[in-house]
Amino acid sequence: MKIKKLLFVTKFEDLCFDTLSSLLNLRKADLEHVVFLNVIERDKVAMHRGGDGFLKEETVKLKEIANIRFIDWAENLFEMGMEVGAYMEVGTLVPQILNAVEQEKPDLIVIGHSHKSVLKQLYSGSDITELIRRSPIPILVFKHMEKNNIVPEEPFKNPLFATNWSSTSMKAAKYLKTLKNVVGKIDIMHVTSEKKLKSSSTHDVQKIRKQERKKLDGLCDDFEEYDIDARAHVYIGDPVKEIEKAAHEYKASMIVMGSSKKSELAERWMGSITKTIADKSIFPCLLIPYTKNKDKKI
Amino acid sequence: MNKKVLIVDDDDDVRTFLLTVLEENNYTPLIAHDGIEGKDMIEKHKPDLVILDVLMPRGSGIQLFRKLKTDDSLKKIPVIMFTGISLKSFLRSQKVLDEFQNGKVPKPDIYLEKPVEPEELIEAIQKKIG
Repeated sequence: MKIKKLLFVTKFEDLCFDTLSSLLNLRKADLEHVVFLNVIERDKVAMHRGGDGFLKEETVKLKEIANIRFIDWAENLFEMGMEVGAYMEVGTLVPQILNAVEQEKPDLIVIGHSHKSVLKQLYSGSDITELIRRSPIPILVFKHMEKNNIVPEEPFKNPLFATNWSSTSMKAAKYLKTLKNVVGKIDIMHVTSEKKLKSSSTHDVQKIRKQERKKLDGLCDDFEEYDIDARAHVYIGDPVKEIEKAAHEYKASMIVMGSSKKSELAERWMGSITKTIADKSIFPCLLIPYTKNKDKKI
Repeated sequence: MNKKVLIVDDDDDVRTFLLTVLEENNYTPLIAHDGIEGKDMIEKHKPDLVILDVLMPRGSGIQLFRKLKTDDSLKKIPVIMFTGISLKSFLRSQKVLDEFQNGKVPKPDIYLEKPVEPEELIEAIQKKIG
């Protein structure tokens, strides 16, 4: 699978042209088409709270604000010989994204992290969680390395690939291999649970580490066959903390993970590693979705 | 018989404006909402003139314009580009694409930057198809 077309979802306050520029390196991996999507949340233009009517003037104003930004961005991309499309829709974010995915068939969705409050997320789920669960294609949750607000210059240059050996993780590996022209070096990690190491024998503990390391080395070899430099790392402990730690230690440009197959309710109340990292990490996160039937074949 | 003018634009308000102006001036308007529908309508109806937006879903006006102008059966249909994208940017994009695709595509017959007054639009249309 190549990234020929990406869907760039923006509210303008989160993702702007600097973000988009940082992704243009993907042209080396076949990117040729960018589709912009701006969703004006229904609440902003509803006549009455919860009502069906729209304030026409407010809608026109917000659409034109988006249009002016998109025209400016599009001119830049057109001048590079790229193809550009745009949607400005009133509605609810995730369904509108899925509609654009259906219409445009992009290979990647790029979106900023969720702006919903913690309480709202708990009851209705975050946009990102919902999107991860429903999207048929990979999602890049973009971050500005929050504290200094700097956009990573080349997000795909040094990804940290966190694998749990699931079918979705293997799908993520496959996806990364297609990006060999943009990826400089991959750090591949697996986090072993502390529970697994509960043994009175040092030998047994070392054996587990060795097994994990061997699997990771095998995966590195696979990447090297695609001319991608890869390094293996075994971590022990809480996956969320350890993945974030590894991303810092190896100066990752993004974190790559396969998403889990937990149910909506389980994910909302118990959380998942993917969701937590996508929401909380300061690093951009590339999430490869779990798709029921297809993933079984891998 | 009235001449057929195809409007390819994703914006409701723009389509309504064009539709009204065309009908008031005895043209038969046809409507397409995006690049793909635009191409299908051109092939199906062979309009006398196309008014083409650039930034749209499902295929930009730039690609559709190039398809039109490189198709022997369609290239004689005059095109009025009607867009918010500046002419300068449009021409730069054409230059890059000419190099990529190894073939020069002619300039659009008329390039109008949005918004325009109805008189300006009608004058442009009349200039091309009477």
